[in-house]
Amino acid sequence: MQPTVASSRLRKILRAGAPMFLIGLLAGCLLPPEPKTEVGKDVFNLYIVVLVLAGIVFVAVEGFIVYAIVRYRRKPGDDTLPEQHHGNTKVEIIWTLIPTVIVFILFGFSMATLSEIEARSENPGVVVQVDGFQWDWTFRYEDGPVIEPRGNEPPVLAVPVGEPVRLVLNSLDVNHAFYVPQFLIKRDLIDLGENGPDNELEFTITEAGTYAGQCAEFCGEAHADMKFVVEAMEREAFDEYMAALASGETPPPTGGGECSTTIEIKANNTQFDIGEFKVPADTDFCIAFENQEAVPHNVAIYDGGEAIFTGEFVNEPGSITYNVPALPAGEFRFICDAHPAMVGDVTVTE
Amino acid sequence: MATTTLEPRAGTYQRSWVLDWLTTVDHKKIGILYIVNSFLFFFAAGILALLIRSELAIPGIQFLDQNTYNQAFTMHGTIMLFLFIIPALSGFGNYIVPLQLGAPDMAFPRINALSFWLLPLGGLLIFSGYLFGGAAAEGWTGYAPLTNRSEGVGTDLWIIGLALVGTASILGAVNFIATIFKMRAPGMTLFRMPIFVWTMLVTAVLILLATPVLAAGLIALFIDRNYGGSFFDPSVGGNPVLWQHIFWFFGHPEVYIVILPAMGVVSEILPVFSRKPLFGYRAFVFATIAIGLLSFSVWAHHMFTTGSVLLPFFSFMTALIAIPTGIKMFNWLATLWRGKLILATPMLFALGFLSMFLIGGISGVMLASPPIDFHVQDTYFVVAHLHYVFFGGSVFGVFAAMYYWFPKMTGRKLNEPLGKIHFWMHFIGFNLAFFPMHQLGLDGMPRRISDYSPDAGWTLLNMVSTVGAFLVAASIIPFLINVIATFINGEPAGDNPWEGNTLEWATTSPPPAYNFDRLPPIHSERPLFFLTHGHGHAAVRPEDLEETAEDDVERRDGAV
Repeated sequence: MQPTVASSRLRKILRAGAPMFLIGLLAGCLLPPEPKTEVGKDVFNLYIVVLVLAGIVFVAVEGFIVYAIVRYRRKPGDDTLPEQHHGNTKVEIIWTLIPTVIVFILFGFSMATLSEIEARSENPGVVVQVDGFQWDWTFRYEDGPVIEPRGNEPPVLAVPVGEPVRLVLNSLDVNHAFYVPQFLIKRDLIDLGENGPDNELEFTITEAGTYAGQCAEFCGEAHADMKFVVEAMEREAFDEYMAALASGETPPPTGGGECSTTIEIKANNTQFDIGEFKVPADTDFCIAFENQEAVPHNVAIYDGGEAIFTGEFVNEPGSITYNVPALPAGEFRFICDAHPAMVGDVTVTE
Repeated sequence: MATTTLEPRAGTYQRSWVLDWLTTVDHKKIGILYIVNSFLFFFAAGILALLIRSELAIPGIQFLDQNTYNQAFTMHGTIMLFLFIIPALSGFGNYIVPLQLGAPDMAFPRINALSFWLLPLGGLLIFSGYLFGGAAAEGWTGYAPLTNRSEGVGTDLWIIGLALVGTASILGAVNFIATIFKMRAPGMTLFRMPIFVWTMLVTAVLILLATPVLAAGLIALFIDRNYGGSFFDPSVGGNPVLWQHIFWFFGHPEVYIVILPAMGVVSEILPVFSRKPLFGYRAFVFATIAIGLLSFSVWAHHMFTTGSVLLPFFSFMTALIAIPTGIKMFNWLATLWRGKLILATPMLFALGFLSMFLIGGISGVMLASPPIDFHVQDTYFVVAHLHYVFFGGSVFGVFAAMYYWFPKMTGRKLNEPLGKIHFWMHFIGFNLAFFPMHQLGLDGMPRRISDYSPDAGWTLLNMVSTVGAFLVAASIIPFLINVIATFINGEPAGDNPWEGNTLEWATTSPPPAYNFDRLPPIHSERPLFFLTHGHGHAAVRPEDLEETAEDDVERRDGAV
């Protein structure tokens, strides 16, 4: 049967459409986060290879299904039988080879990447024992300090940038998993008792920053709350941080450690000490908030009725530093969520 | 074919229809009981899915507290797999396999009834946790030592209920194997069996080999929990990874137990609605057997992040499964090629199966790569993958089977416009619900969490997913209306409304209690095709019509 005009047009559309679809797929959809560890970069590159292979298979097969539906649909009234193909050994051998080749390519790339991930350095920059338990974390540095859980606040694991970080993953009860999406890697914490050693995980972070992580292996009722933060900092900042920890001081504020602008706000007698403040647009800034009374207060920033930033409550006299994400230029309000009368203006200027 | 009217034979007597259904040992009635029972559990587990999606639609805890949420996803997974998909496909198997073999019933009708009645019992036991302080809440995989240490009788009821359901599966598997090997009609050699029968045979073998392992694990877990055992709890010398090995040694073959019969259904429907034979019948059979064999060597790909398994071996074996699966996909596509496609509802669901199962297959191969698995294991990427296999694959297969064989079971054809509305709502809702989960998983959203931070950037996709889930739920309304209205006053179907070529279409709709008055000669896997189009048709191969020595032996020893 000769192809009709309509079907050759369809073929053209499919031919042009398939690469477009692939490009679209790769342009930002179905990608993991930008990796912040060296092994994560390997995983990311492997993922791209696999995604391209997957995209080709996807477009080819789905394209054929759509093509078949359009092209081979029975015409109304056509009651004749099409030719009855029972099979063809030659083509069947060919299409057994296609997935075989794909599988071997995938396996080869995977194993190459795997050996990168499994590699262990001789001198890690820091070794930390990670204790996971229902439903929080304790981080025990090999050379001293221990980060205890902080109730509702996720505990902070400070590590140096650009040096291998080795974690010994120790469960105190049921199974957990240490997972930071931006590192593109995770590993289980399993209490094996006498049956084997704890898992280890090693990675080198490439960029200073604050990375959210959480338990990825279901571990019971409050599994969803079992979060932590990895604070990656340059070696000097890390050493200062560890020294502060060792001497029992409050460690420097989290959030990259640096604030170009810090606004100080105090609360007392159910009032803020300032009624307005100004910050530059499109720049992260910090609010050093001090609650001077035994009444819960916080600082939240609103754009009209919508909360843009909500600071954690300070329930009794004490201080906290909020890292506020960049705001666009304009007028906002800051408010204590517990006391709507505690309110002031925020001016964000270009 | 002309409609034949069959008069019931002598010896029928009146009794109430309730008693009749409760005591029946007729494989067709038991098949319908299976299907009805499965759909009831499907609706229950579907409501749980809507609760889960409602809770996740926006950040914050709105409807369910954490414990209730954990019970909901545990029950959702357990019920959907063990009490909906597997029994629904077994139900079609029960009804169709003896018919396709030309047999009067299953080999062991009473065991057949027993294996059905254990199901609602087991299912209700699993659910009854809700009446006794809370259902099981450890996930459908019941990982130790969480399951060892959780309080409450709900988990014990879950264990006992699952053990009963597993027993039912094993009994059913024995019955299928015996039926397929010993009850075939004269002329029905193994390589003339319809593909659906082949997939049910391989499925039954998988059940027989895998389910006892789960049963043993469940009993060990029960001993741990109640009688001071120490199989899995490390605090008393047990090994929690052992549970994962046992569970997945069952659990991965279980994936194929769930998907193979659906592949069989699709392999029945595609040729009939393309008006062609299945391309590469033998290759398809060998691919099915290969998948069955390989399924026992891949279980630890669920355990890559435990650090306790040999990654290259399990990664390689898992990737190998792509080869027989790929062969099947190519065979299906070649069946469509140069066919004359009739896009009736069964065909739509079968094509839906092809296009959705493909996505589940592709993401499965991605997960077989340990480095990629390290990132997306236990995230929503895995949730998306398993739903594209179980829902996009098996459940589309269940609905395809429903629309395809409903006329045989009831004598009435489901309404086509309602069927198409159902299909499109289902298809669009399914993709809205589950495709965004790939991205959520890549972004790092772990599965089995009741809440997430508004700062995480997961809100929009979760909302889309919830909207999709409700669209899927809404698609059940036209389906139910269709089934009920057709049952009451549907278009009479006749014996063979789709021009099917397998033996179930050679009897009345519905078939009489003893199935066949007379069987057509069986010289190929499409006995009715040669009956309809007969000798001399260009498409009839000479070897299809030859009487072989094998046929004579079959005829002499045939059980019918």
